[in-house]
Amino acid sequence: MHKKLVEIKNLKTYFFVEDTEKQKSLHQEISDPALMDLYKTDKYLKNKVPAKAVDDVSFDIYEGEVLGIVGESGSGKSVTAYSITRLIPDPPGKIVSGEIIFKGKDLLKISFEEMKKYRGNEISMIFQEPMTSLNPVMKIGDQIMEAILNHEEIPKEKAEKKAIEMLTLVGIPSPEKRLKDYPHQFSGGMRQRVMIAMALALHPSLLIADEPTTALDVTIQAQILELMLRLKKEREDSAILLITHNLGVVAETCDRVIVMYGGKIQEISEVDPLFEKPLHPYTVGLLSSLPNPDLPMEELKAIPGNIPHILELPKACKFNTRCTKAFDKCFETEPELLEVEKNRFVRCHLYENEK
Amino acid sequence: MTTYFIRRFLLIIPTFLGITLVTFLILQIVPGGPLEMELMKIRMGGSDGVSESGSTSGSTQNIPQSAIEELQKFYGFDKPIHERYILWLGNLLKLDLGKSYVYSEPVMDVITSRFPISIYFGLIGFILTYIVCIPLGVYKAVKNGSKFDFITSALVFAGYAIPGFAFGALMLVLFGGGSFWDVFPLGGFRSSDYETLSLSGKIWDQIHHTILPVASYMIGSFATLTILTKNSVIENLSQDYIRTAFSKGLTEKRVIFGHALRNSLIPISTGLGHAISLVLAGSILIEKVFNINGIGLLSYDSIIQRDYPVVMGILVISTLLLLVGNILSDILYAIVDPRIRFK
Repeated sequence: MHKKLVEIKNLKTYFFVEDTEKQKSLHQEISDPALMDLYKTDKYLKNKVPAKAVDDVSFDIYEGEVLGIVGESGSGKSVTAYSITRLIPDPPGKIVSGEIIFKGKDLLKISFEEMKKYRGNEISMIFQEPMTSLNPVMKIGDQIMEAILNHEEIPKEKAEKKAIEMLTLVGIPSPEKRLKDYPHQFSGGMRQRVMIAMALALHPSLLIADEPTTALDVTIQAQILELMLRLKKEREDSAILLITHNLGVVAETCDRVIVMYGGKIQEISEVDPLFEKPLHPYTVGLLSSLPNPDLPMEELKAIPGNIPHILELPKACKFNTRCTKAFDKCFETEPELLEVEKNRFVRCHLYENEK
Repeated sequence: MTTYFIRRFLLIIPTFLGITLVTFLILQIVPGGPLEMELMKIRMGGSDGVSESGSTSGSTQNIPQSAIEELQKFYGFDKPIHERYILWLGNLLKLDLGKSYVYSEPVMDVITSRFPISIYFGLIGFILTYIVCIPLGVYKAVKNGSKFDFITSALVFAGYAIPGFAFGALMLVLFGGGSFWDVFPLGGFRSSDYETLSLSGKIWDQIHHTILPVASYMIGSFATLTILTKNSVIENLSQDYIRTAFSKGLTEKRVIFGHALRNSLIPISTGLGHAISLVLAGSILIEKVFNINGIGLLSYDSIIQRDYPVVMGILVISTLLLLVGNILSDILYAIVDPRIRFK
């Protein structure tokens, strides 16, 4: 296995929302000292309860890998990713505790000023909405150059040359001309290519892609994924954190997968074993809800019910309200994340005895 | 896009004709025109002469019919109204706005002598408003919900609720040397001894006369522009491209001024073109309160005195400014927002 690029330990990112009813009973419930401290020091949190978007999440990202995070909307996957670059809107969001160790440095302990040196340089991001993620009144060339000049002290001409190079690399025809175009003059797929060019201009060690293909046509999706993987290969030790709810995308691109539900990691696995033999009932549900062309339409199996509201998540296993295999213990205690095989973790009472 | 603007410019012609025609008709149909005023004056003069005889009820009998006809001819009322309009329009094409009844000077001269004063006050108020409101709006947006935001909002809205002329009157009562403080002059453009002052004295005198009127000009537009800027910046700060900008590692300052503000200026800049006509047209009530001899006061007096040529002259200029200002807004819009392309 490669070296660890990022080590995330016990990350807790909460959003604080107003709820006077729940607030009354809250103080008896807080057992987490870090959260207690926050409540003591921050006046803003008065009358507010924490919505635990990411609750005690630990995982590693290795050099050279493509790591996927899957889960339904509201499972905490995007918040996990934004926590790495500390782009959580505060208020209402706060990283309560945890460590994010990137190349030996805890990103949660450094100053905001220092954090800016990592963003766009060491860690870049691509977002879901290519249509709105670029500034509509700025030429795309200027937007790419801005990213370069923000981190490197080079003359403008050199930055422009680099921008042209990047646009060529991501497959935008006649880049010298397109440099002077505005985002609205590009299609969705082309804009996402511009985003990729911008994100990769400084050869980051980690690329965080938050549902980069969700808003695109299926044919374009494949092109964009292929482009990301191709560019990643040019820098051997760089890694991609791919956030998606599309298991098809995971199967095609990822080396390892993290399955999230209710703000917690439910399963970590290498890709092939996960698809061959999913362990967690949630993962099983996700996989069987993929349309299978061999089966008639009626057999499309959805996971019963909906993901509960973030403030109404069950106390024990987060999935117990929808799990078909839930038994008494699932409603009493929360299972631990257990390593059931090598590099295979699952958070489920069903597998506790196998160890 | 050029054809669009050419079309817009050509559209000025029918709009202009419509506005002037309606005003011309209303103005001349309304009773109490200059003819009646002149006759009244003669009658009053006559009654003055015979006041001792106790005759208060003047009658037209005193004025010979030939004199009335002569007056009618002098004012051009011997011709039917449509003919008068066409005549006026014809003169306008020759850039001749006629002669003022009251000042007996060409209308053009009367107006141009007042213009600099209105432009002076209007422009200073206008520039100050933009210089203060945009940074204030941005700062309020960044500090949204803070004590500073709350207090400035309260002040700005209080200002919005007070009409400019009322605020001006209040300021004069407080600072005009009446019962309270004697800080500012009661009005006027400059002191009567302005010419005798030294250079620094002149500058100070000018500033001294400027502060209260300009504050009255600004107070109303302050709220609109500040809150517009604030809301616009807040809206833009929550956009996806702001997240992208932060993810590039830009500083907060750069994100706000380089990205959010540029987008926020789009709705603000469209107001600029329109504001130009407001600046030049002056404010009737504020000029009245401060006794400033600007366009506003001139148009007020001209209407009261039924000085038709001056009223029409001011109308021509303000209409043209408004129409051109609207087109200017569109051009500005197209400049600041590359997505806008008029067809």
